[in-house]
Amino acid sequence: MEIAMNENTLRFTRIFEAPRQLVFSCMVEPEHLTHFWGPVGVTTPLDTISVDARAGGAFTTVMVNDADGSTYPTSARYLEVNPPERLSWIEDYSGMTVTITFTELGTRRTQVDIEQTNVPAPMLDPAAQAGFLTSLDRFEAYLARRAGAHR
Amino acid sequence: MTVVEDQQLDAMFSALSDPTRRAIVVRLAAGDATVNELAEPFKLSLPGISKHLKVLERSGLISRGRKAQFRPCHLELQALDAAAGWIEESRRLWSERFDKLDQHLRTLQEPRNGDRHE
Repeated sequence: MEIAMNENTLRFTRIFEAPRQLVFSCMVEPEHLTHFWGPVGVTTPLDTISVDARAGGAFTTVMVNDADGSTYPTSARYLEVNPPERLSWIEDYSGMTVTITFTELGTRRTQVDIEQTNVPAPMLDPAAQAGFLTSLDRFEAYLARRAGAHR
Repeated sequence: MTVVEDQQLDAMFSALSDPTRRAIVVRLAAGDATVNELAEPFKLSLPGISKHLKVLERSGLISRGRKAQFRPCHLELQALDAAAGWIEESRRLWSERFDKLDQHLRTLQEPRNGDRHE
């Protein structure tokens, strides 16, 4: 994973063993999103996901913490919907932009690149607030990796 | 974990809103450095880099040694931990999402993918 802070951008990359069209569909169809949108310990009920997958369309979810039922609503507006190659939205609360690029590496192999720009102050973002306190050790390791990537 | 006041957080995020200062922080994560060592890769004048360092120092993100001439800069990891928790949180969010998506894609592509495994 590479993180390029000096462009005010965070990047995350993952390769999936699946056709590009399917991976793209997973990112814009509520029936798929409900399976993975919440991180560990957080569920995103199908009926809370609303997707209007076109430029200017809204993308909203409510993530529910399994342990205590607290909710984290998210609300964004699509900037670009270009299946199966590119998807981008801007988050309403934070102004953060997320751009997802889907690259075909084979008929059943797809690389997904996430790019987050205009990274917000954390206090504005409910999802970031939810886990704001992270362990120092984990962050140190992360920083070391990031510093290494810049050499 | 250090308790960080809201005002200090504001100062840290304000300090981190500048790309050069973020790059300095990344450099210091690899180890302490003097002003000269910092100025070189960023192609900045010494007064220019000093200005950025003052902002970082006031925010609590870095401290500076007392050896008069060199005053090496040191990244205050505990302060940065609080300030940059959101980066880690963001990374964790996508990482866990991707893990779940990976599992979901496997389920979808199983030979009998008409079955719904919940």
